[in-house]
Amino acid sequence: MLNEIKLNMNEMPYLPPREVIEAAQKGLSNLNRYANPRDLELLRGLLAAYSGVSKKNIILSTGSDPLLREIIHVFSRRRKVIMVNPSFFPTVQCAKEFVTKLIKIQLRPPEFNLDADIITSETNEPSLVIIDNPNNPTGKILIDREMAKTILDNKNTLLVVDEAYHEFSGVTFADMVEEHSNLSVVRTLDKAFGLAGARIGYLIAGEDFLDAFSTFYAFLPQSSLYSAMEAVKDPSYIKKNIKLTIKERERVGKKLKEMGLQVYPSTTNFLLIKSNIPSVARELKDKGILVLDLSNQWLPDYIRVSLGTLKENNIFLSSMKEILRICNKGE
Amino acid sequence: MKKIGLIVNPIAGMGGSVGLKGTDGGIYKKALKLGAKTVTPKRTKELLSYIKNRNEINLVVAPGKMGEAYVREFNIAFKLIGQVPEETSAEDTRRIIGEMLNGGIELLVFVGGDGTARDVYDAVGSKIPVVAVPSGVKVFSSVFAVSARAAAEIVDAFIEGTNLTEEEVLDIDENAFRDNRLASKLYGYLMVPNVKKLLQAGKEASSMGKSSVDSKGEIARYIVENMDKETLCLLGPGTTLKAITDDMGLPKTLLGVDAVYNNRLVGKDLNEKGILRLLKKYKSKKIIVTPIGGNGFIFGRGSKQFTPEVIRLVGRGNIIIVGAYGKVSKLDCLRVDTGDFEIDKLLSGHIKVIVGKKEEMVMEVRC
Repeated sequence: MLNEIKLNMNEMPYLPPREVIEAAQKGLSNLNRYANPRDLELLRGLLAAYSGVSKKNIILSTGSDPLLREIIHVFSRRRKVIMVNPSFFPTVQCAKEFVTKLIKIQLRPPEFNLDADIITSETNEPSLVIIDNPNNPTGKILIDREMAKTILDNKNTLLVVDEAYHEFSGVTFADMVEEHSNLSVVRTLDKAFGLAGARIGYLIAGEDFLDAFSTFYAFLPQSSLYSAMEAVKDPSYIKKNIKLTIKERERVGKKLKEMGLQVYPSTTNFLLIKSNIPSVARELKDKGILVLDLSNQWLPDYIRVSLGTLKENNIFLSSMKEILRICNKGE
Repeated sequence: MKKIGLIVNPIAGMGGSVGLKGTDGGIYKKALKLGAKTVTPKRTKELLSYIKNRNEINLVVAPGKMGEAYVREFNIAFKLIGQVPEETSAEDTRRIIGEMLNGGIELLVFVGGDGTARDVYDAVGSKIPVVAVPSGVKVFSSVFAVSARAAAEIVDAFIEGTNLTEEEVLDIDENAFRDNRLASKLYGYLMVPNVKKLLQAGKEASSMGKSSVDSKGEIARYIVENMDKETLCLLGPGTTLKAITDDMGLPKTLLGVDAVYNNRLVGKDLNEKGILRLLKKYKSKKIIVTPIGGNGFIFGRGSKQFTPEVIRLVGRGNIIIVGAYGKVSKLDCLRVDTGDFEIDKLLSGHIKVIVGKKEEMVMEVRC
């Protein structure tokens, strides 16, 4: 449907600057060619500078999923994998398929706290801990630096932190990678940079991970590569978009609460909402609004809604209001 | 001051420890013969002792063991209403509630199980809100509080002022239940003070989709492969546990407790006495249970044969919890309500649930 409002994939609703789009178009004009390795190196350098780490620690990829998959493939053979539930769905699916032992820690509403003691007791044998921070779909910061340090002090443990939304939360462990060889941080340009269509992910890999990635080489499509280079060269535009998103997050959250819905605090570009209407996601879809229904993967009655533009959010809010009105009337 | 009615079904829950799966009809006499003890007095006293706003209550109670007998020791103003015979029935419950409603009660607190909830629904409908204290063998309706203590908190919330919500009363066919089948249908809705975290979710029917069957089969295979032949395994109710005995080629009481030792069935549809006898005989023992879908109870609902004494003798470390991922991931926590708070505290905290051959979930157990 052409007029669908997509609030189901946590995309940035704003287009990147004209220069970034023009760079992608420049890439398209060389569609018959692979990317130039020199340009790939340039992007690595730009991402290293943006993240405040050494270029040697940056691994490029087409999105962050292949990086997480590779980590699971390589490092789960002699280790148990520890994750939280719920978590980034593709990573969970991959882990379910390949690992020899998977431990999932159920996050419990309304706080969704991750108990450090569980991680400590579970990491008494070689382990790979994968945590999305902030967590998707709760939007909560699950681990702080102190907890990360405690996990990393156990040299039998590898810690992988998925920081897809770190630009919104302001929390990152990238600067800890140099000191802690058993830490890696996975990031993406899909979200805050508004480049979901370019699919650029990167790993800030600790020393223990680097060997495994020595043969992992991503030939990025030229349009993706050039748009990413342009975006990371001058990332000032993302600040404005993040500010707008956070402002909308607070406004939409407040309005939903006024409607009597349970809205959980978020440090991301999406909101976790609990409603007592089991069919709410389907009813929103009938109105042309796509949101993520979490009932099939996790607890019933929860939906995840990405923040869109002001106009999109207003349509979403008025649709929710209408659904609630009909539902309450029906009761 | 709030005028609150209290009614207790004195025979509710008696069939649990003796493995009778309920006391509807004349079954409670059989339960008595088997040595069943009343469980509602303890529940009722626990409820009354944890209500904080006792000075704000004018209690209206039924005589004798339907209420009065438990209230006297608490410092709560109360008034007696109606008359009850020595042997009480569902009709007495409905009649007394009718008299309480005529007397102008604003809230009805009742102690019992799903059968009692049906009687309460017949008498109350949507006239006033209720607080349901779990004490039956079958406590699957979402109208119930998660425990007697939680019920006390809900009473306090009502006194302090809270909005209301509708919760389900389920009609569980006790004869079918005793006959190893779970047949339930929605009987009606009762209004309850809206303190969601203290209300249990209703029993969710076990999914029979292919993935759920596969998942149970995978769990069963894993359990059987790792089963120590020299250990007595007490298998609780449910289709997940039945998958284990299916894998071993043994029969299983779907809604009861069976025991397996050295690949042989050594106990069928056991009650507490039968379990205790086996626990004396075998040195190494384990309990294997699955949470009830929807509300997450592992002990205290549906498997009362696992009494506090049984759980104490087996020990927390020898309890294995299994469940299909699709069921377990939909639970925010596991719950226990054994009727013994010390045992409930012992079981509380984090525990692992086997959800697949190579997959475990760390869940919080709450009481």
